[in-house]
Amino acid sequence: MSISRRDFLKKTTLSAGAFTLLSGMKVHGMEAIHPKGWKGRQRVSEIASICEMCFWRCGILGNVDKHGKLLKIDGNPEHPLTEGRLCARGNAGHKLAYDPDRLKYPLMRVGKRGEGKFKRVSWDEALDFFAKKLLEIREKHGAEAVGFFPHGIQARFFEHLMKGFGTPNIVEPAFAQCRGPRDVGYKLTFGNNVGSPEPLDFENTKMMVFIGTHIGENVFTGQNLQFANALERGAKLIVVDPRFSIAAQKADYWLPLKPGTDTALLLAWIHVLIYENLYDKEYIRKYATGFNALKKHVKSLTPEWAAKITELPAGLIRETAREMAGQIPAVGLHPGRHFTWYGNDSQRGRAMAILTALLGAYGRKGGIYLSSPIPAPKYPSPANPKPAARADGAGTVYPFASRGLGVTNGLVEATHSGEPYPIKAWIVYSQNVLQSIPDPWKTKEAIEKLDLMVVVDVMPMEQYLYADLVLPEATYLERYDDLYTVKNAKKPFAAIRQPVIDPLFESKPGWWIAREMAKRLGLEEHFGWEDIEEYLDYRLSGLGVTLKQIQARGLVEYDKGTPYFDFSKPVRFKTPSGKIELYSEELKRYGFDPMPVYEAPDEVPKGYFRLLYGRSPLHSFARTQNNEILNGYQPENDLWINDKIAAELGLIDGEYVNLENQDGMLSNNIKLNVTPGIRPDAVFMVHGFDHKSPLLKRAYGKGASDTYLMSRYKVDPISGGTGMRVNFVRIIKDGQPVMISGAVSAIGRFKSTRDARRPVKKVVVPRAVQSEEDEGC
Amino acid sequence: MARYAMVIDLRKCVGCDACTVACRTEWDVPIGHSRTWVKNTGAVGEFPNLIGSNFVAQCNHCDEPTCIAPCPTGATFQLKNGIVKVDTDLCIGCGYCVEACPYDARYINPLTKKVDKCDFCEARLEEGLLPACVTTCTGDAKFFGDLEDRNSIVYKKVYEEGARRMENDNAALGPNVYYLGTEEQLQLVLEKFGPRKPRLATAAQTWRDIIKPAVFTAVGATFVGQAVAFFSQLSKGEEPIDD
Repeated sequence: MSISRRDFLKKTTLSAGAFTLLSGMKVHGMEAIHPKGWKGRQRVSEIASICEMCFWRCGILGNVDKHGKLLKIDGNPEHPLTEGRLCARGNAGHKLAYDPDRLKYPLMRVGKRGEGKFKRVSWDEALDFFAKKLLEIREKHGAEAVGFFPHGIQARFFEHLMKGFGTPNIVEPAFAQCRGPRDVGYKLTFGNNVGSPEPLDFENTKMMVFIGTHIGENVFTGQNLQFANALERGAKLIVVDPRFSIAAQKADYWLPLKPGTDTALLLAWIHVLIYENLYDKEYIRKYATGFNALKKHVKSLTPEWAAKITELPAGLIRETAREMAGQIPAVGLHPGRHFTWYGNDSQRGRAMAILTALLGAYGRKGGIYLSSPIPAPKYPSPANPKPAARADGAGTVYPFASRGLGVTNGLVEATHSGEPYPIKAWIVYSQNVLQSIPDPWKTKEAIEKLDLMVVVDVMPMEQYLYADLVLPEATYLERYDDLYTVKNAKKPFAAIRQPVIDPLFESKPGWWIAREMAKRLGLEEHFGWEDIEEYLDYRLSGLGVTLKQIQARGLVEYDKGTPYFDFSKPVRFKTPSGKIELYSEELKRYGFDPMPVYEAPDEVPKGYFRLLYGRSPLHSFARTQNNEILNGYQPENDLWINDKIAAELGLIDGEYVNLENQDGMLSNNIKLNVTPGIRPDAVFMVHGFDHKSPLLKRAYGKGASDTYLMSRYKVDPISGGTGMRVNFVRIIKDGQPVMISGAVSAIGRFKSTRDARRPVKKVVVPRAVQSEEDEGC
Repeated sequence: MARYAMVIDLRKCVGCDACTVACRTEWDVPIGHSRTWVKNTGAVGEFPNLIGSNFVAQCNHCDEPTCIAPCPTGATFQLKNGIVKVDTDLCIGCGYCVEACPYDARYINPLTKKVDKCDFCEARLEEGLLPACVTTCTGDAKFFGDLEDRNSIVYKKVYEEGARRMENDNAALGPNVYYLGTEEQLQLVLEKFGPRKPRLATAAQTWRDIIKPAVFTAVGATFVGQAVAFFSQLSKGEEPIDD
């Protein structure tokens, strides 16, 4: 007799004992005892959706049992970028839904801000209060007094609501703490943003170049797959990184440059391409403008010049430039992603774009391919009121900043100063304003000035402590979201997010929250759809399918033909000149350098290290540290420090230290990773640790926070992006700073302006150590 | 008959742990234990002349497994297709096989007290699926198939591309997980993560740990049982015999 898997499951689960074991018994929350005869995971029903463990949003299949419990998440083999693969975070996604620390009910603050005292309220009570406050604020101060901090597709419905409400102040860290300067640099050069996912043609590339990009540690499944396949195919790899990253381990050339000197290296590469006549001459002649000016500009910027600045051998700079030129145009120069490093980052973006142009790699096979929008119409909605001028400086103070994504730090600043006008409310939606925007102390001070702070989130992140109202959103596994359209794919596609399981506790999907609020704000007409299914059907109609038709597969592709330039027809770039702008009149008009100029970063003071940060394949931002599985793998971050320096300082691998930055800010304990794989002038940690919300029981106080060592940042005047690699730290062991023998501390250069706001930490530096006289030891 | 094998291309592996998490959720492996694991050698050498590599490992389903003989109950056995399996009904959790495995591929599940390890996702293979770790690998670095099938991907990787076994002087048991990588890389991972010497249980150990306690328990239980029966009989008094 043969038993089908479904029958088998029925039989085992219907016996009461086995059922208890399946759903009840747990080891660390993982069901470890299986009923007798258990032969593996039953694939009862697989629901296609998209991940949200990071913003890459890969295709998933949720494997749900007959009781509606999500047992496992697999990759969706139909997904064009991932082919059914899924990273560690995606594989651990069900532990977000089943995290016992989740926000479960609407909460209203009863204690002081930051105290974390709340009372549970009903959704009606919460939304009535929310709407009443918003209307009051609009009445008194105008709609622009409301700042909205959204992240991701889940916040789109609420963003639609806020535009209807009338505020212009919508800001995402995706711009000013991430891709902003990169996109500005590329747009000024090619007329187009790079966008996301980065349209790199790794399938055909013969040479990959990473500037600080650490694929492998920074895992986006599709890009990772293409990267690995390119390596297998024999593509070469140049990695520029002060740290011996995983990518560097695989590289043909590792260039451990002095942090902050990337633009010097890029300019020297440009010099070699031009003066050794190696660049793509036909491409440049036909499609670019400003070549002669550029040639003159880089004349003296030789590899020998750059060698002194970058601390890389001139020969290596020359050799790598020639290697790149040898593969023209199939060079995949990765534009990077988190780009806000030193406060002059748009110009670095420009230098990278110019280099890409000289290699003839934009719009070409093996370089950067072209994207085209997906015809998914917007659901009809009444016109939005004309908003007031923005408060964040996007388009004014920062002339090239995105008005769509805004400048988060600009809005924090405006809230803090009350200029150009007071901001009275913040709605923080799926963002983490304290762990993503530098200088969290200032952010907290800004919050103190608000009349209303509302947090819509899945987990009780630190910002929750400062909220007046907390709304629990359903996780990505429990809701529909807006259509996810991916234009940056060789075959663009639209994917749906649909509920894999029912929302747990009293959490609600974002579309529901936005529509309920619309009713209370008199904006029902902006949400004219019957239900979310009808809304999605409408949007999918442009692609000629219905929601029902694609629910099983989870996505629909859209064939737009070849993703490269067709040079048999005239090619026009979306720049003012219609050409690739090696020389930018636009930048000049606003008083900026029309061609990138190297600006030296501040020198590292003696006894200090430059604080570098990056990513881990096991965590996304500061979002996943409480996930049971991911926390089990990586509960805390560690600090990379050069082995020779460590030996000189008497520091041992694996021991715990604290870090103190130039303004006296102290970190939590962090474990040392003593390695030859980092330059002696820098230390490195993974971003997102030391959560300060005690409600995150697993992540609370584990590891050190890079953001809480960023009391300074340097704003890129072109884009408004916050350069965050401008902080320096020294090592504190047993409460004493560890100094290099004989070296004199240059701490005198820094004024300890923030002592008054020193965070309370496990280790407190004795006063004597902090006084000026003792700094020179 | 098939001979299942896996090939791991270390040039492609980025060490992202997707495979180990997928394995964990597929088989409910408790945190702190693993059927498969990812390691990195770290940077080796002197700045800036460094090398380093990721390494992925699991049960090697060896041609001559050292884990079978020490098992006192016959719970560990090998299928004809090469898969080394544990019958959890027979396993008593003595841990001899854990010691015997030179790759440390076995662990005792703290809840079930039984030995667990990779079985190449045999249940998935029966369904026509690849092992969970292979399916999810974000670097397409893991390959699975039948080494006796000339058309299989693993045949190609082993016999044409020269994927190598992780063997050294400590243990050369014919492991069926093969590795691709640069010469330097393969040497480095073998040095850092190569097999240890198998620790095999002696007859004396088996006597001390298994047979002796088992006999004592059996004898003791018999005695207790007798005593209980005797006293219960005593307390009830003699029952009348029904004719």
